[in-house]
Amino acid sequence: MRRSNYWQLIWYKGMADLHAEAARAYVGFIWWVLEPLLYMMAFYVAFGMGLRGSGGGVVALSLLCGLVPWKWFASSVQNGSDIIQANGGLIMQVYLPKYVLPGMVMVTNGIKFLIILGLLMLGMAIVHGASVAWLSLPVLVLVEMLLALALSSLAAAIVPLLPDLDLVISNGLIVMMFMSGIFKDVSQLPPKLASILALNPMVHVIRAFRTVLLDKQWPDWTALGGVTLFSLAVYALALALLRRYDRIYPKLLVG
Amino acid sequence: MSGDTIIELKNVGVRYRRKAGFMRSNAFWALHDVSFDLRHGETLGVIGRNGAGKSTLLRLLAGILAPDTGSILHKTDKVSLLALQAGFIPALTGRENAVLSGILLGMDRAEVEARMDDMVRFAELEEFIDEPVRTYSSGMRARLGFTVAFQADPDVLLIDEVLGIGDASFKEKSSAAMREKIASDKTVVIVTHHPDTIMDLCDRVAWINQGVTVEVGEPEAVVQHYQQSLKQGSKRA
Repeated sequence: MRRSNYWQLIWYKGMADLHAEAARAYVGFIWWVLEPLLYMMAFYVAFGMGLRGSGGGVVALSLLCGLVPWKWFASSVQNGSDIIQANGGLIMQVYLPKYVLPGMVMVTNGIKFLIILGLLMLGMAIVHGASVAWLSLPVLVLVEMLLALALSSLAAAIVPLLPDLDLVISNGLIVMMFMSGIFKDVSQLPPKLASILALNPMVHVIRAFRTVLLDKQWPDWTALGGVTLFSLAVYALALALLRRYDRIYPKLLVG
Repeated sequence: MSGDTIIELKNVGVRYRRKAGFMRSNAFWALHDVSFDLRHGETLGVIGRNGAGKSTLLRLLAGILAPDTGSILHKTDKVSLLALQAGFIPALTGRENAVLSGILLGMDRAEVEARMDDMVRFAELEEFIDEPVRTYSSGMRARLGFTVAFQADPDVLLIDEVLGIGDASFKEKSSAAMREKIASDKTVVIVTHHPDTIMDLCDRVAWINQGVTVEVGEPEAVVQHYQQSLKQGSKRA
């Protein structure tokens, strides 16, 4: 298969998976919108309701600015961790370089995310008003996409070698969610704790979305640059592993 | 060039690991010591009993697996299995699956779409091509799978066991199409445990037993020795 073909494959298979997901459910693609809405509602009920009266509306919007990018990140890493297993039948039939598989996850989840982000922006514009700073959103999306791709690829590379890590990752994501500043920006925590939590790249991504969408200001470009460098390093590692074990993974599926 | 070596296997071994309880796994050698070369333009048969390691050998030739011992030299990377229904997603239509499967088999999307009408006609699915594949009978699915896989045009085509697919009339049609392809200048490897298929189609044969090459040579001689060993085996048993 030629290299240009891989791009075609990533796009077509990503879209096909998305389409198949919609075709399976009765209300189809409405689920792409409904599912995250229900998810956000659950969090709003759990954490936002008690805060009504003391600027509850803003708190709810702030929560959404954290949850929407988080959901994209977490589901990409989670899907990445079993992407080789999930495509086991395929990689036994046809040779595919394994690094294309997380790309398919990015297409499927990325499109769902863009739909939700669009809705969030619309809601924000109506309730809270839009701003020029929103022009930086495409950059934020790219930064997060690279981060999600890097960690999704790393999970895809490692989990088949050490299947037990799958559980570690799903629980790790829950812990990480509570430490990503979704509910409250980490800068509001004691400085010592905040500086440790700032090692988590999602803290900066979520803060950037909140700064742009809610505070109507430009994001902290230095922090985003740091996240990008981190993502590139992780992605390089993931690619090296996926290449190293490219023709070993199918054997692990047999055992 | 016709006759030049296109893939060369030297003392190749492939090992799988099987989980065998808490933090333990057993090694299982599917291939121990396989050596032969594949020449440009020829049809090579691989014969052996069930469990001889034939499927693993095909995956090795297709570049899906790497050997654990020995070496394999590919002079082309366009080697692929006749992969039936590769990547089919039941919820999608026959048309979407044909495109997806075609891309997976190395074709260009535009190329698959351009050939779609011919493919639909060959697969006899005119009325169903825009229905989800999950509504297809297994025969319909097999027809679509074969038709798409048949379009792919690798330098080396690897075929597992059967040539004809589907019900009686389609089996005849698909088998004829395969035979035509094999008879052309294409390099083909056919894996089978049927001596007739080998005698019919192959220029040379490699006989494999329990992961080891026993003999490589002219079909008549190798098939005769293979059949003798089967008879001896059944007498002993």
